[in-house]
Amino acid sequence: MRILLAEDDPMIGAGVRQGLRQDGFTVDWVRDGQAALTALRERVHDLVVLDLGMPRVAGLDVLRATRRAGDTRPVLILTARDALADRVAGLDAGADDYLVKPFELEELAARLRALARRGAGRAAPKIVAGALEVDPAAHTVRLDGARVALSAREFALLHALAERPGSVLSRAQLEDKLYGWNEEVESNAVEVHIHALRRKLGADTIRNVRGVGWTLAPPGTPA
Amino acid sequence: MSAVRSIRRELVVSLALGLVALVAIAASATFLRARAEANELFDHQLRETAASLAGVPLTGVPISGAASGLAGQEDQLVLQIWDRNGVRIYLSRPQQALPQYAQLGFNTVATDTGEWRVFSLLAGERVLQVAQPMSVRRELAASMALRTIVPLLAIVPLVALLVWFGIARGLRPLREVAAAVAARSPRTLDPVAEAGLPAEIRPLVRALNGLLGRLDRAQGAQRAFIADAAHELRTPLTAVDLQAQLAERAATEAERSAALAALKRGLARATHLVEQLLALAREEPGVTDRPMAPVNLGELARSVVAEHAAMAAERELHLEFAAADDRPGSTVVSGDAAGLRVLLGNLIDNALRYTPSGGRTSVEVARDGAEVVLTVRDSGPGIDPDERSRVFDRFYRVTTQATLGVPGSGLGLAIVKRIADRHDATITLGTGLASAAGDGLGVTLRFAATA
Repeated sequence: MRILLAEDDPMIGAGVRQGLRQDGFTVDWVRDGQAALTALRERVHDLVVLDLGMPRVAGLDVLRATRRAGDTRPVLILTARDALADRVAGLDAGADDYLVKPFELEELAARLRALARRGAGRAAPKIVAGALEVDPAAHTVRLDGARVALSAREFALLHALAERPGSVLSRAQLEDKLYGWNEEVESNAVEVHIHALRRKLGADTIRNVRGVGWTLAPPGTPA
Repeated sequence: MSAVRSIRRELVVSLALGLVALVAIAASATFLRARAEANELFDHQLRETAASLAGVPLTGVPISGAASGLAGQEDQLVLQIWDRNGVRIYLSRPQQALPQYAQLGFNTVATDTGEWRVFSLLAGERVLQVAQPMSVRRELAASMALRTIVPLLAIVPLVALLVWFGIARGLRPLREVAAAVAARSPRTLDPVAEAGLPAEIRPLVRALNGLLGRLDRAQGAQRAFIADAAHELRTPLTAVDLQAQLAERAATEAERSAALAALKRGLARATHLVEQLLALAREEPGVTDRPMAPVNLGELARSVVAEHAAMAAERELHLEFAAADDRPGSTVVSGDAAGLRVLLGNLIDNALRYTPSGGRTSVEVARDGAEVVLTVRDSGPGIDPDERSRVFDRFYRVTTQATLGVPGSGLGLAIVKRIADRHDATITLGTGLASAAGDGLGVTLRFAATA
């Protein structure tokens, strides 16, 4: 799950980034509205965390421009203004949720997971695909009810595939889910993680579509 | 009984007293006039009576008819007749002795039965005297005066009553204004409606509305300040809160100590912001009443620069102080030393914060004619001319790539401006010491010199 964090305050930005990373998110951090607009045009992020009090281009303007451009990705706004009017203005400008500063990192992560879920058209917190059960909140995977231990990257990769059942994700798309801007992408990293997942979950769980990418075909689903 | 004055009561009482005085004056005027008229009338009567009796042969004892007729009259006429030898030959009322009076015509005579009006007429060999007590005339005049004032006196309570209710009616708008003012609360300070109010109350309402307007504006400014302050405080507190959460969930000792170090930086920042907020609040117009006294700005600047030497060294900056004029007293201004110290501290602090390490900052105090000029220059990025007017707004922060990440409250220059305003000093922003970082910033303040 890759998040775009737009926050001008250096301490808050660093804190949120670190906290979300600990919760298994991939986080890219921009410090002003202009940079946020540029990053949003890349379309690599699944969710946006937007501070409203940003310099250069205000958060609300970023939000409006994004929605005008037809971008429907979930946006959670962070605001230090707790007046009703400010919250309403944020939601009416196209935000999906808001948090008033100060907030708990746990709540932010939970709200982001909920937004991701809704964005994928699911209501249940756990993703179930055949005998496979992925719990984004607890970071756990069960196969036929038995817990399977995965590394953070393995989990992120499986989560990305499970989020859109039946669709095929390319290597570039998967790399985007796994790595933020400043992170070095190891060559063959995707293949290495997929190899590990197949070893742990069964060779047929992740199928390769030659020349396109990978798709999830968990045991127990009709082929 | 409270001694609260009442316009209504005062008006009614003074009006009633005035009316009573007026009635008294009218009564005495009527009395005097009636007495004058009675005098004329009765004098005429005396003369007529005397003339009519001149031909009547009256001698000795009173003739029952004429005399008793005379005596029985209410006007109490008395007649006596003398012969030419001075012997009384007739007295209409024996019990009433009139003095023998030789003077002819009208006379007023004092006797033991009061004053009498006497008319003496010489008729042939006899002297006729017709007399009447003056009290008759006074009584008549008094009764006439009384008849005039009784209806007037009856009017007094009626008028008082009318005035009492009239004033109540007239003062009703005042009660309405009072109710409207009472309905105002600190949240609703909108003006009281002036339409339909009497001219007497309008100046009061207008003055009141002026006050309400000023209160509303002052309160609005205060509310905006508190909202801004709450908002600005929330940011460093959120940062502190996040670092505390990260410290809690830290898995390793290294993570924890990193989070705790960040937490401490966040606390320092929140503390700085609170201090700046307090400094700004103290400089709010009308809050500070510290008296102005002669302050040597050059000496003060030198000491504040010295206090910042450690900070400059830590940031590897060259900080210098220059007093261009060493004549004693040449840089003395009338000011508030504590406020000026805060002003200098903020300017030097800003210069040190925004100048990249290795750069230069300079503080200069010089005499220029009748002014003392304080200039603080740095070799930082400077402030864009478009932004120079806005940086004095509280919480406004310049956001360029160069200033991003420099911690600050956004209050420093707002505080400087307030203090400068209090000293009637002009403040201008310009370029400072040019460097690779930019044109630098130069802040110039001009104070009036005292000598």
